[in-house]
Amino acid sequence: MFISMKWLARHVDLTGITPEQLADDLTLSTCEVEGIERFAPHMSDVVVGHVLEREQHPDADKLGICRVDVGGDEPLQIVCGAPNVAGGQRVAVATIGTVLPGDFKIKKSKIRGVESRGMICSVRELDLGDEHDGIWVLPEVSEGPLTVGQPVAAALGMEDWVIEVDNKSLTHRPDLWGHRGIARELAAIYERELLPLDLELPKLGDGEPVQVRVEDPACSRYLGLAIDGASNGASPDWLRQLLLAVGQRPIDLLVDLSNFVMLDLGQPNHAFDRDQLAADGIVVRKARSGERMTTLDGEERELVESDLLITSGGAPVALAGVMGGEGSKVGDDTGRLLLECATFDATTVRRTSARLAHRTDSSARFEKTLDATLPAAAAAHFARLLQGLQPEVSFPCALADAGDWADPARSIHLRGDVVRRDLGVELDDAAIASILSRLGLTPTEASGGFDVAIPSARALKDLTMERDLVEEVGRIHRYGSVPEAPLVGAIEPPPFDRRRQMVRAVEDRLAGAARFHQVLSYSFTPDDLLERTGCASGDFVRADNPVAPDMARIRREVLPSLLGLVESARRERDVVRLFELGKGYRPEEAGEDGMPREVHQLAMVLALPPAASDASFDAGAFFQLRAAVDDVISAAGVTPPAWAAAETAHPAAHPVKQVAGSWSAELEGCGFVASIEPGVARALGLEGELASDVAVAVLDLGALLAALPSPPTYRPLPKFPMVKVDVACVAPSEMPAADLGAMIEKAGKGAVRDLQLFDVFRGEALGEGKKSLAYHVVLQSDTKTLTDKDAQKFLGRLERSLEQQGAALRR
Amino acid sequence: MAARCLISIPNRPDFPRRCPGGNAVTDTTTILADTRARITAAPDVEALRAIEREVVGKDGIVASLLKSIPGLPPEERKGAGQSANQLKQAVLAAIEEREASLGSAALDAERRADGFDGTLPPPRVERGTLHPVTQVTRELEDLFTSMGYMVLDGPEVELDDYNFEKLNIPADHPARDTQDTFYCSSPGSRASLLLRTHTSPVQVRAMERLEPPFRAIVPGKVFRQETTDASHEHTFHQMEGLVIDRNVSVGHLIGAMKTLLRGIFKKEIEVRLRPGYFPFVEPGFELDARCPFCTDGCSVCKRTTWIELLPCGLVHPNVLKAGGLDPEEWGGFAFGLGLSRLVMLRYGIDDVRHLLGGDLRFLDQF
Repeated sequence: MFISMKWLARHVDLTGITPEQLADDLTLSTCEVEGIERFAPHMSDVVVGHVLEREQHPDADKLGICRVDVGGDEPLQIVCGAPNVAGGQRVAVATIGTVLPGDFKIKKSKIRGVESRGMICSVRELDLGDEHDGIWVLPEVSEGPLTVGQPVAAALGMEDWVIEVDNKSLTHRPDLWGHRGIARELAAIYERELLPLDLELPKLGDGEPVQVRVEDPACSRYLGLAIDGASNGASPDWLRQLLLAVGQRPIDLLVDLSNFVMLDLGQPNHAFDRDQLAADGIVVRKARSGERMTTLDGEERELVESDLLITSGGAPVALAGVMGGEGSKVGDDTGRLLLECATFDATTVRRTSARLAHRTDSSARFEKTLDATLPAAAAAHFARLLQGLQPEVSFPCALADAGDWADPARSIHLRGDVVRRDLGVELDDAAIASILSRLGLTPTEASGGFDVAIPSARALKDLTMERDLVEEVGRIHRYGSVPEAPLVGAIEPPPFDRRRQMVRAVEDRLAGAARFHQVLSYSFTPDDLLERTGCASGDFVRADNPVAPDMARIRREVLPSLLGLVESARRERDVVRLFELGKGYRPEEAGEDGMPREVHQLAMVLALPPAASDASFDAGAFFQLRAAVDDVISAAGVTPPAWAAAETAHPAAHPVKQVAGSWSAELEGCGFVASIEPGVARALGLEGELASDVAVAVLDLGALLAALPSPPTYRPLPKFPMVKVDVACVAPSEMPAADLGAMIEKAGKGAVRDLQLFDVFRGEALGEGKKSLAYHVVLQSDTKTLTDKDAQKFLGRLERSLEQQGAALRR
Repeated sequence: MAARCLISIPNRPDFPRRCPGGNAVTDTTTILADTRARITAAPDVEALRAIEREVVGKDGIVASLLKSIPGLPPEERKGAGQSANQLKQAVLAAIEEREASLGSAALDAERRADGFDGTLPPPRVERGTLHPVTQVTRELEDLFTSMGYMVLDGPEVELDDYNFEKLNIPADHPARDTQDTFYCSSPGSRASLLLRTHTSPVQVRAMERLEPPFRAIVPGKVFRQETTDASHEHTFHQMEGLVIDRNVSVGHLIGAMKTLLRGIFKKEIEVRLRPGYFPFVEPGFELDARCPFCTDGCSVCKRTTWIELLPCGLVHPNVLKAGGLDPEEWGGFAFGLGLSRLVMLRYGIDDVRHLLGGDLRFLDQF
């Protein structure tokens, strides 16, 4: 919203206050000022010229050659095509070098062979209105002819500053949506008087009042003031300039006055041409389905049943609080009008303006909830202003005043101690009372503080409880003068938070030793990515108003977000390691409160170039990722689970190359590690040059938290030497390595200190359906030195147990 | 005086076997001179070991000389023995000397390191990275936990009730206009769901769950339905702060915010509070910090020397009531820090969309 300093000065004396200071003070006490600008700065460059004479241009019928005195040594010769230019006029001259709105720089020129040294300007060229049918003949002022050569801005008193206020900071303050409200704040801030404003209705005639019937509670008050004998036309310059300063185009007197009243008091209003209304007056009602109307911007609009209408003779004449109708708008010949000042329901107006995507100055104000005492003030203000300009107008009948409304003015008890406690300042009761009074609130001493009378304009939603008044005192007193204070009280370390500790340990390990990059993703997963990763099935929480139609689904899991990044990452580099700790939402497991279950997951992706044919058995992404997963689980303070072959761990998992981890039958599984499903890899574009060996893993943080923690412990260093034995086991292809490992452990009778697989071999020498796994085994006892004999016994036990399972020891 | 040798000693290792035994007299002087020459010419330690074996080894010259002594006339035996031993000592000494010199030559060569160029690029170190939002979040968590704040978490898919109603933002409240909310549907649920528009819902959740007094922060993801560009994003990170205690004042809030800013910017930062409207606090403020990046206006502060940093205020009595607390007894303050914005300020990131975009070229920089 734009505020004019000159306009403010109608309500409060701002002498000695710079625009910058005013902006700062408003920002610190009231609302956020976004910027200050001079009004029409070019008007300080355009000067008053005196047209000495006009001669006909020798080669052009429509052009004149003017000699214009602009206060220099010699008059300027200016070629001008305006029909109304004549000798003796005072005009606005843009001399050479002046820049007019639209970045239009005046240069010396020749027009049809005649030199022209400047431009005599029209109103439109100066951006002061739309008139362009001739040059602007400057008005006469009471002090006599305007001084030639003086900037026009100074000559006509046009200097003004425009202050832009952030509308959001006025959300809760309907009273600040007009200059008088802002002026009241400034009066409080600068401790100056808020100048009185005559808001008494003029004398009304005793004619037949206009009939008004309100049929819907969305209109709590409808006030209609009939005016006769007005003559419409251009507004006086002061009014035009104030409107221009705040960004309103002047239209005609009646419309300009209506706008002025709204921008002055914050009460939207509408002037109808009374001759265009039906004799039965006004009915306020909701629209009927299928009803249509043409608003005064010429748009035909289809109405819905939630729209509130002003109707006359059964037909809509205005869309309540949003815009008037085309048929009843005031025109050049309007002399009899009906001024509507009403109170409409905020939500109703907002819905209609939102539905039509048409926000007006009026709807913006009604949306803030206006109080029902304001229409009377606005009607009186309009009447007084019009009467001041056209003393001949008359008010033929009593006000039409319909609706069911109550004055929201109230009283709130305020304790001085509460002000001091909440603000943390020493402020005596007298100072508190002074601030309240300056704001137009009326404190009366009452037990332990004051009963504060809240005027209607602020009582509706803004000031409803004691704490609201604490704010009033605080902001005018200024928060900058509140001394900084340390919090007092015992500082207890917050309770231990294992989840957070685990999250940090996981992040540190992965981003550190494991060299993964942490990703944070959107919670929306595009439909297309879900399809390509095979993750589109299952119920999803969906946004009703997504940023794009294919971005409605809220993710159930984290993995697809990472998979969507692999292709572009692989273009960047050979080895891609990504992880994300994030949340997914499962509607099918909703809680009693209807909220979907939240899962907290760690997802990891490792992508490598395809493995070479002679690569070691554990060089591929799957085994590297399995190692990283075990490592990160250990880092999280949990013993890694047992990994068993799985089949249905995840739709993006390779049907065979997958394992699932669990600690015991009682505990829930913790997740899986898998190679990527080959079809998914291709769907993700990982083929050709980007063909990749990709492994994925997902761990459930909840399951990790539920698993038994493995506290870090110390094991005494061994007292007895170790014995190293290499064993090679030949086993059926389908026998899991985990089973062989278990047999070796068992054969060691507790002496297997370390077991490391170093070779996997398949070949003709072994025979069909066989594989050979070779291990380094470290045997060590806590109680004695193991000998070669012990190693032989171990091998013997292992051999027997292998043979029982259809495997054998290669000797 | 060395004894004379009757035969010449060829320069070859099989010499002893060709040296006749018995009464042969060997001229050790010649042998020594010859051997010394070979030692001096020896190119490396292996050659020295060969000469050593040849001369003083088990079957070497010295051994054969000694073996030949019993066949000599008795008066020559003593002298022959002595000269054999002298030969041995002299050869060993020469070998040792040569070996030392060879060793130092090798050291010298190592030290010369011909062709070394320390400016050749080293192999690349692949490393992992923590997301910048994580890094800044941790820094703040550490700062706040050191002041007794708990770190809380809350759901991203939230109930309307917690996101709005209990925060003193009833339906049709004008503040809902400015909150561009993603409303949600969940199959089978009739709850009024949305993606939380701020971390503030955790305020009431915390009050319901914790015994006052307490202090808490809530870092997390929040969502706004808006068109994205370099400075707008529909998903970003925030950190809520909440202190519930008795007799909490605006002065305490200012103190806490200054501590926070010292922690973030590592220096004393001037702040100002100005009125700001947020329905869940009263009075509500916008806290501006003196721009830490300039003294007279820059692009970060839009030439104002102030940056709008965080909304804050005293917890609204209605919110305390919604959280089950008596506003006459308990009070508190709350603040909301834009983590994403802070990360952008910290690193000078010019496009907010990088944060959640997952581009490795971005992630790798942190």
